[in-house]
Amino acid sequence: MNPVYRSTAAAFLVAAFCGSLVALLAGAAWGWATAAFVLAAFLGHHARHLARLARWLARPEPGSVPEGTGSWEAVLSGLHRYARQASGRQSELAEALVRFRRAAHAMPEGVVLLDAHHCIEWCNDNAAVMLDLDPRADVGRPITNLVREPSFIEYLAAYGEDGPRAVRVPASRGIVLSIQLIPYGNEQKLMLARDVTQAERVETMRRDFVANVSHELRTPLTVLVGFLETVRELRLDPQRVRDYLAMMGEQAGRMHRIIDDLLALSVLESAPPPPLERVPVAPLLERLRADAAALSRGRHAISLEGTPSLDLLGSETELASAFGNLLSNAVRYTPAGGSVRLVWRDGPAGASFAVEDTGPGIAPEHLPRITERFYRVDRSRSRETGGTGLGLAIVKHTLARHQAALDIESEVGKGSRFSARFPPQRTIPAQPVNALS
Amino acid sequence: MKPISETSVSEHLSKQFDAELESIRSRVLEMGGLVESQIRRALEGFASGDRALLDDVIVTDHRVNGLEVALDGDCSHVIVKRQPAASDLRLIFAITKTVTDLERIGDEAQKIARMAKSIHEREGGAAAMRGVDVRHTAEVALSMLRRALDAFARLDVNAAAEVIRQDAAIDSEFRSVLRQLVTYMMEDPRTITTALEIVWVAKAIERMGDHAKNMAEYVIYIVKGTDVRHTASAAREETGNPA
Repeated sequence: MNPVYRSTAAAFLVAAFCGSLVALLAGAAWGWATAAFVLAAFLGHHARHLARLARWLARPEPGSVPEGTGSWEAVLSGLHRYARQASGRQSELAEALVRFRRAAHAMPEGVVLLDAHHCIEWCNDNAAVMLDLDPRADVGRPITNLVREPSFIEYLAAYGEDGPRAVRVPASRGIVLSIQLIPYGNEQKLMLARDVTQAERVETMRRDFVANVSHELRTPLTVLVGFLETVRELRLDPQRVRDYLAMMGEQAGRMHRIIDDLLALSVLESAPPPPLERVPVAPLLERLRADAAALSRGRHAISLEGTPSLDLLGSETELASAFGNLLSNAVRYTPAGGSVRLVWRDGPAGASFAVEDTGPGIAPEHLPRITERFYRVDRSRSRETGGTGLGLAIVKHTLARHQAALDIESEVGKGSRFSARFPPQRTIPAQPVNALS
Repeated sequence: MKPISETSVSEHLSKQFDAELESIRSRVLEMGGLVESQIRRALEGFASGDRALLDDVIVTDHRVNGLEVALDGDCSHVIVKRQPAASDLRLIFAITKTVTDLERIGDEAQKIARMAKSIHEREGGAAAMRGVDVRHTAEVALSMLRRALDAFARLDVNAAAEVIRQDAAIDSEFRSVLRQLVTYMMEDPRTITTALEIVWVAKAIERMGDHAKNMAEYVIYIVKGTDVRHTASAAREETGNPA
């Protein structure tokens, strides 16, 4: 039997028993009074517990469920157990929610949750940075008020039909985003934003590279084929033929140089790291200066600055060719009468080799791309001077293999400065000259 | 049956009215987005000389103009139908003015695209303008417009005040571009035609900054109800910063 019925029945029994006992001893009136008194006490007990329960329910806390006696004991302890379990479940849920939010915040993509009317419900930190959103204040605002790019608005409007899967959106600070919408829940949308600036740049570079290789090889080939046809089909005097053959040889040599440079680059890319051999700097600099003077044939003032107290560690042939490349660029691009300076600096923070010229300089928009393969600042000029368009790419690769960085500073009309900075672990104190001899 | 109470009718009407205002505001911002993209593409074309892109910018300007006309119509419609008062009326006024400024910025973008086309079509035109840095000025103008529109979307007075302050930077950038161009023209008179066209481009960018500043001023007007146009910067900052 239910304990509540049992205790109620017991209370009535006690009332009846006490009532009849008193009735026997003191008369019926006293008997009824006693029974009423016992029942009143029983009711009072219930009322007190009910009041406490009501008070607790007004502000329920799992730890402070009132305790009770009699039939209330079982009921209240049951309630206590239930409250405990509920609070446990709730904190588990809250924890899961926190974990989920943390995971969403840690996602490398920008994540924005949109409701059925395209208003922002929530966004993670990455989305806030990428799209210039305020994760708190912008909640409830239509996303199209803040991401206003027309291509995105079209994408959002055409959403659900057979449109593109993602849309390219230029954001602030030159960043390019790829935004994708994914439906979820009740007409809600998950908006994923990925930064594709770098990927787009790589893609442009790759496309340009293929186009450039074909173009660079085709130009001399066209000349070559043209001369071949002329020589074959026209009757020319031997002197003309010799001239043409010489020009054809020149073009063939040019193609040869381009292919050599391409091969050199691919070797550099796949070769094992350079050896840690001592590269004596002083004689190297002297040799470079002499080479530059020979190339310039007296048209430029060529000077050498700095006395090396450190030598470099690496491959002498690779470094000599990289430095020589920087130097020949300076000589080739600097007009006659200008000056080219070789500057060597070393110290505890490492060493640096710089080539400074008074040439035409490079406009700032070209600087970031100038070490790309076949990148031309001025398409007509550099080919006249005989470059393959790969020199700086090779220099940059070679230096990177030696953990060195290539810094380029330039001002249009003033000149340029190309410097290679080597870290301390790539240097070693120079041997005194007499020890060498 | 329970009669429809007076308050529930007005509540219903005001809700509909709010939705109408909100939709107008969203479309102003959409127009802003279109203008932003017009500027960005005009500048891209100016740097790269991409004919197809520049032609597209010039043609797309009619969409900006169309939006201006449509939004003006919507605003007068709302005024006639709802007879708004106080802050709602201020919002409508500010929107009509913002739309005018946006349309002008669109025209400036079109102007830049026209100039870019003629510079790139001329033999050696692109080479002559190397070294003149209008890009930085353009970046500042574009960021001003973006932030003015953001301030309008969020009704953020502080951001609007910042946009107004930024305008001084554009003016000084414009003067430095002019100085640079004068030097070029003195050095080599053959560059004069191109240099004059670049002056137009720089002027267009400078005007964009002015229009963005106007838009920021309207945001302050919407929120605070004070007109900060043509006032001293000190007074403006006082209004702009509630602190």
